[in-house]
Amino acid sequence: MSMPPITEEMIYEALRQVDDPELGCNIVDLGLIYEIQIEGHKVTVTMTLTTPGCPMHETIGYGVRLALLKLDPVEEVEVQIVWEPKWSPDMMTDQGRERIGLR
Amino acid sequence: MTAVLSPPSGAPKTAKAPVRPLVSAAPLAPPVLSVGLPLRFVITGLLSLFTGVVGLVLRPDLLATYHYNQYIIALTHLFTLGWITSIIMGAMYQLVPAALETKLYSEKLAKWQFVGHLIGLVGMVWMFWIWNVKLVGHFGSIMAIGMGMFLYNIFRTLKTIPRWNVIAFGIASALFWLTLTMLAGLYVAAAKCWTFSPFDTVAQMHAHAHLGGVGFFVMMIVGVSYKLVPMFALTELQSERRARWSIALINVGLAGLLVTLLLASPWKLAFAALAVSGLALYGWEMLAMLRARKRRHLDWGLRYFLTAISLLAPLSVLAVVLCWPGLPLTVFTGQLENVYGFLALIGVVTLAILGMLYKIVPFLVWYHSYSRQIGRSKVPALADLCSTSLQAVTYWMFVVALAAVSVATALSHEAGVKWSCALLAACMATFAVNIGKILIHFVRPKMEPLVLPSPLKGNA
Repeated sequence: MSMPPITEEMIYEALRQVDDPELGCNIVDLGLIYEIQIEGHKVTVTMTLTTPGCPMHETIGYGVRLALLKLDPVEEVEVQIVWEPKWSPDMMTDQGRERIGLR
Repeated sequence: MTAVLSPPSGAPKTAKAPVRPLVSAAPLAPPVLSVGLPLRFVITGLLSLFTGVVGLVLRPDLLATYHYNQYIIALTHLFTLGWITSIIMGAMYQLVPAALETKLYSEKLAKWQFVGHLIGLVGMVWMFWIWNVKLVGHFGSIMAIGMGMFLYNIFRTLKTIPRWNVIAFGIASALFWLTLTMLAGLYVAAAKCWTFSPFDTVAQMHAHAHLGGVGFFVMMIVGVSYKLVPMFALTELQSERRARWSIALINVGLAGLLVTLLLASPWKLAFAALAVSGLALYGWEMLAMLRARKRRHLDWGLRYFLTAISLLAPLSVLAVVLCWPGLPLTVFTGQLENVYGFLALIGVVTLAILGMLYKIVPFLVWYHSYSRQIGRSKVPALADLCSTSLQAVTYWMFVVALAAVSVATALSHEAGVKWSCALLAACMATFAVNIGKILIHFVRPKMEPLVLPSPLKGNA
């Protein structure tokens, strides 16, 4: 039996399970995910972090990899951290803004 | 198939912005971070704080009378070296690499430094208490060797930073003043043993205290807050020029103050005013950053910190009054000097540190217990590790105790000092309970399974 295809909804639903521990909000609603590429069973996530350098944030990239590898069709995950464009709170979704009490 | 997916509905438009150069691939596992190293400094610091506050409850006369005696000098070094410096060192081993986006030069050196710091601290405080100045010098030298290791380690770390910014300028300035504070301390101890110093004994002590208090402690707060406040309040530095000037003016003011204090010159007022103008620029930049913040609600850690730095305003007024040329040394002005020192060390620096500990300790514990579980299980956020209501109780107890100790000290009211210090000790106990609630996650992590979309692998 062949594996089901990877879908956009599946990826984002999985990534919503990964929270930024400082802000207490998931990384999708924070606007940290810049791009997702799917090549067969490989997923490449291009994302940023809210503040460069914080070692806690490095764990988020690790969490992204683990969360996506839990999806049945996903066999390989690559997570690329970029600093441009620089993250700003304006990139957050309405749910994210509500969650952490933005102006 | 190659597909570039757009975010789901509700996701921000900016997520589709063109992606510019890749900086790094995410690690295959979270980077190894020694939480034990900063934690041992934090625990040493907290023990020193509790001991010092209990010491003030048992000996309220130390604040209610003029400050130049062996016991208050012992307690002051317990607060400055045992509490404040321990915490700053532990935090720097963790935060400098984070704030400046680099790695610590040598963790092994830091571990050896802790040994020297602990031996030097216990020996110095004990020898001050029994007033054996020669042995103060010996233990001070052990501590100085430890500080040398600390400075070397941090300077080697600073050398690797990719971009020299205002934060690095502030931290480097603070370390420069720490070096001078240490040398001045050894000089003061040597001048007690051999009569070679041309300066007045109290003037030497005041110069040494200002090097440490303004140069190391306040400068460190100023430098790191330019990184931490934007990070926690979701804002940005509004004027790098203003921030640089704030640090430069404090540096120049303090350098002049050092010389004029030693020479008992009336020019000390001018240099104090220069340092105060640097602090005013700092306050201006802080206000500008807070006005521009995106995060409406400020957490308790940040509220502690901001309250602490706002206390720099009354402290500056007191500083200007106390260095007014020709101000006579009366019982009351002597007591105002006690208030000045207490407000600086306990009001500004301690409250700022308590606020930052609500960031540092949860971070260390979270990293130890949850960093390898993120993406595997639902893990708590940092704010979930401690009790918000206890944070509020501690805050208000602290503010009331600080005001009460200051008034009782100014009035030389011994019973007032005793009971207000007892309130401060109770406040520290509530703080300790909250820190205990955080530390419990070390042994009893709280995790829930992830809610993932189907189809899942069997190991979900």
